[in-house]
Amino acid sequence: MKRTTLFDAGYQWIVFGRDPNKAENLIDTNQYMIRTANRCLLLDPGGTELFAPMLAAALHYAPVEEITDLFASHQDPDIISSLGLWDQALPQARLHAPAIWEGFLRHFGCEKIEYVPIEDAGGTIDLGPVELELIPAHYLHSSGNFNVYDPKSKILMSGDIGAALESPDAPMFVEDFSAHVEKMRFFHQRWMPSNRAKNDWIKRVRKLDIEMLAPQHGRIFKGDDVERFLDWFEALSVGSAVQV
Amino acid sequence: MKAHIERKKSQFVVVASIATELSDVMVVAKEISLAAANAKAIAYRAGEKARGFQPITDFINELARETIELVNQINEQASALYETTVKEYRYEQANKQFKTVSALSCEAVYKDSLVPIAAQLEEELEEMRYQFKNQVDQLLDQLSEIMHPARAARVIAANSRIEASQAGEFLQSLLTVAESVDKAAELMYTNVQRCRSSMAMMEL
Repeated sequence: MKRTTLFDAGYQWIVFGRDPNKAENLIDTNQYMIRTANRCLLLDPGGTELFAPMLAAALHYAPVEEITDLFASHQDPDIISSLGLWDQALPQARLHAPAIWEGFLRHFGCEKIEYVPIEDAGGTIDLGPVELELIPAHYLHSSGNFNVYDPKSKILMSGDIGAALESPDAPMFVEDFSAHVEKMRFFHQRWMPSNRAKNDWIKRVRKLDIEMLAPQHGRIFKGDDVERFLDWFEALSVGSAVQV
Repeated sequence: MKAHIERKKSQFVVVASIATELSDVMVVAKEISLAAANAKAIAYRAGEKARGFQPITDFINELARETIELVNQINEQASALYETTVKEYRYEQANKQFKTVSALSCEAVYKDSLVPIAAQLEEELEEMRYQFKNQVDQLLDQLSEIMHPARAARVIAANSRIEASQAGEFLQSLLTVAESVDKAAELMYTNVQRCRSSMAMMEL
């Protein structure tokens, strides 16, 4: 699995993805890690199929006992169906996930890990050197959905927002925004159900100082491409299936 | 590997199907209970002619009560076994995945940190397998226990026929009672036997 460091100043952000051994019929996903001196948070750690390569990759940065926290932006299987396996590997860990999905996520198996519910208004995760903000992103696409904003590194982990469907060997960063647009259009129009929710999120996110917008599928936006993405998304009409 | 998955699948199916078979047995036990009440009423009306039949109705009733109690106990045991099957399956999956992690992380700095957790899981898995085997044995014992009322019901049905023959104009009504007890007992016997043979076929 490819490992790329996004930020390294007192603590690190690492993205994992482009697993060469992933089955072709599984969607490719990006997993993120925030590593501090003695703790480690995995963001959207992935589906069951990805558990072994993901944990193996994480062991390059942290011992198992220091992987203390997991975050699930929403309930989808590609986000967190590996929960039952993490539950065996990290019995002391905490899972931060939307409150409304608790009873659903427990179906994946969550007996040992502590479920820390995130209420609709959002919250924070204090990792010591950084306090992460949990930004509500409901209905984008899931009805209970959060992004993670790091005010120090200025990275916004945006879950499915900004996602693109493309080949598993695609580069980690957006290089040509105009060319990238077509890889995102269908995903956003079909998976995102609400223009109202989209505009509400854009309004909230525009207030944040963002240097990197890091989605769970596809490529990461850097610098001016973040603003370009927000403009493009703002102009896009979503919820396309109801028009069929 | 494929054989292992098939074995697990069959365990899930067998354990789940026990509940279905037992719910049929429960229906039958309730039918026997109804037959007992019916027989009691007929025997009461028949008076002296059905004197020998009256204690039989108490037996039938007792039999139905005992069967219902046993079915409830077996149901509890079957659902505990189902929970263990699910848990054991999850532990086995994790165990398998941990082995893959070990193979994939041979160059990782912190690869050894997984060793104690993997060892702990192996231990828990062993315990789970032991618990599973115990629960299966207990369930098999309970299933053979429930065969006793099934056999007894058939004997009672035979005795009921003999007593019915003394009951004059009530003969037909009492024979119907005997028939329904006999049929119910046969169904009960068949269903429980089916549970036992499917459990025996399960590769434990």
